[in-house]
Amino acid sequence: MRRTLRAMADQARTWNRRRKLNRLATHLVLGLFSLVSVTPYLWLLSTSLKFRKEVFTPTPQWIPWPINLGNYTEVFDRAPFGTFLVNTVIVVSGILAVQLVTVTLAAYVFARRSFRGANFLFLLFLVQMMIPIHATFLPNFLTLRNLDLLNTRVAMMVPFFASGYGTFLLRQAFKQVPRDLEDAAVIDGCGGLRFLWHVLIPLARPTLVAFALISLVSHWNDYLWPLIVTDTPDVRTLTIGLGMFVQQESGADWTLLMAATAFVTAPLMGIFLVFQRKFIESFMFSGLKG
Amino acid sequence: MSDSTALAAPESLVARAQALAATWRFRFRGGGTYLYLLPSLAFLALFTYYPIGFSAYLSLFRWNVLNPEKVFVGLQNYLGLWQEPLFWLVLRNNLFYALGTIPTTMALALFVAVLVNQKLGAARSLYRVALFYPTMIPMVAAAMLWVWIFNPGIGLFNYYTSFLGVPRIEWLYDRHWALPAIIIMSIWKNFGYFMLIYLAALQGIPAELHEAASLEGAGAWRRFWTITFPLLMPASLFVFVVAIISSFQVFDQVFVMTQGGPADQTNVLTFYIYQHAFRFWDIGMGATLTTIFVCLLLALILVVFRYVGRRVYYEAD
Repeated sequence: MRRTLRAMADQARTWNRRRKLNRLATHLVLGLFSLVSVTPYLWLLSTSLKFRKEVFTPTPQWIPWPINLGNYTEVFDRAPFGTFLVNTVIVVSGILAVQLVTVTLAAYVFARRSFRGANFLFLLFLVQMMIPIHATFLPNFLTLRNLDLLNTRVAMMVPFFASGYGTFLLRQAFKQVPRDLEDAAVIDGCGGLRFLWHVLIPLARPTLVAFALISLVSHWNDYLWPLIVTDTPDVRTLTIGLGMFVQQESGADWTLLMAATAFVTAPLMGIFLVFQRKFIESFMFSGLKG
Repeated sequence: MSDSTALAAPESLVARAQALAATWRFRFRGGGTYLYLLPSLAFLALFTYYPIGFSAYLSLFRWNVLNPEKVFVGLQNYLGLWQEPLFWLVLRNNLFYALGTIPTTMALALFVAVLVNQKLGAARSLYRVALFYPTMIPMVAAAMLWVWIFNPGIGLFNYYTSFLGVPRIEWLYDRHWALPAIIIMSIWKNFGYFMLIYLAALQGIPAELHEAASLEGAGAWRRFWTITFPLLMPASLFVFVVAIISSFQVFDQVFVMTQGGPADQTNVLTFYIYQHAFRFWDIGMGATLTTIFVCLLLALILVVFRYVGRRVYYEAD
C-alpha cells in the first residue's frame, strides 16, 4: 500500500516537472517568434531617430544616441503628410459610413426574409469576396474616367461601397436573433426598418464593430487603387504619399524614409496598442464564424 | 337607393378597404425586399460584375497608344500572350510566390497558434500582440521597411543571418534572391493574421476531447494529429482560400521593393496588368490580362472547394 502511494507520488512529481519543462519550452519558442516578429518595427523606430551618418555602422546600433527628432519635422517639410493623413481619414470613414448602410440593409433581408432569387443574389455577394479590386482595376479606372471622377476622394471610395464580406458577416449575426422576437415586434407594429434599427442593430453590435475595424484597417492600407485614380498630392492618402516620397528621395536617406514610414504606420499602430484586445477579438472571430 | 346601401354596409366597406390596404402593404413589403438590396446591388453591378464583362469585351480589341481607335481583333491578344515568354515568366513567378508563402505561413501559423492556445498566463496577450501587429502596418510601409532590412551592405538581415553561416546576399538586387526576399517579407507580414484564425478555431475545440484522450494515454503529439488537426480542417480550408486569393493579389510589395525587377524576376500578374495599362497604355492587352486573372482566380477557388472542400468536415450553421 505504502509502496503504491509512493510510486503514485513519484509519478505525479515527474508529471509536474515535465509539465513545467513543457511550459518553459513553450515560452522560449514563443518568445523567440515574438522577438523575430517585433525586430523589424523596432529597427524602423530606431533608424527614424538617428542622425544620417549614424546609420552606417558595421554592427547595428539599436539605441539611437543622441536622439534626433529632426527627421520627423523634415519629412513634414518635404511632403504634405498632414494633408495625406486628413485624406486618409476622410476616405476610410467615407467608405465605412456607406458600407454600414448598404451592408446592414442587405444583410437584414438575407437573414430575415425569404424571397425569389435569394440564393442567387446571395451568391453574387459572396463571389465579390473572391474578386478583389486587383482583378478589376483597369475597367473600373475607365468607368471612373467616363464619370469624370478621377483624382477625387470619391474615386478612392466608390468601388468599396458594397461589401460581400460585410453582408455575409452581418447576416450570420442577424440570423441568431430568434424568430419570436421579430413576430412580437411586428405585432407591436415595429416591423421592417424600425425592427432593424431598434432590435437587430443593437443586438449585432459586436459584429458591426468587428466589421468596422476590419474595414478601417484594410482601407487604411489600400495602395493599388488610390495609386491609379489619383495624381495630385492634395487628394492623396498616406500610403500613396509614402510611395511618392520614396521615389522623390530615391532611397538615399534611410533616416528620413524610416521617419516617413513610422509616421504612416503610427495612427493605426497607436489605436491598435490601446485597443488591442478589441482588435484581436474582432479579427479572430470574424474570420471563421459562420 | 344608393344612399341606403352606402349606409347599410359601412363596416364591410371598411373591412374591404383594410384588406386592400393590407395586401398592398404586403406587396409593397415584398417589393421592399429588393429595395433593401438595391444600394448594394447597384455598386456590385457597377464595380464588380460590369468590369468583368467589360474587360472580357475589351480583350477582343486592339486599343493602345499607337492605335487610339478600337479595332476588333478577335482572340489575337490571347494568342499574342500565349507566345509571349514574359507572360509565362509572370505566371511562374506568381506560382513560385504562392508555393513559397502559403505552406510556410500556414504551417507556422498553426504551430504558433497551438502554442499560444496553451495556458500561458499574462504573457499570452503579449505574444498575441507581438505576433499580430504586422497586420496593422500598411503593406507599402512594411515593404519600405524591409527594403532597408534587406540592404546588402548595412541591412539587418545579412548581419544577423551571417551568424547562422549564411553568406552575404544582394537580395533585392539579385535575380535569384529578389523573389525569395519578397516571400520572406510577406510571411512576416501575413502570418499573424492566419495564426489568429487558427487560434479562434482552436478555442472552439472542446477541452473534454483532449482530457478524454489523455486519460486513454494519448500523448500531445498523438492528440494533435487525431483530434486537433482534423477538427481544424474547416479553418485550414478558410485560411487556404484566403491565402490563395491574396497570394494572387500581391502588388504593393513588388511595386515598392523591386518594380518587377531585376530582369522581371519578381514581375507578377497584377503588376504586369498595371504595366500594360498604366505604363504602356495598352488597354486591350491590359483587359486581356485582367480577364485571364479573373478566370484564374475563379478556377482556383472552384478547384479548392470541389476537391479540398468536399473532404472537410463542416458544421451546419
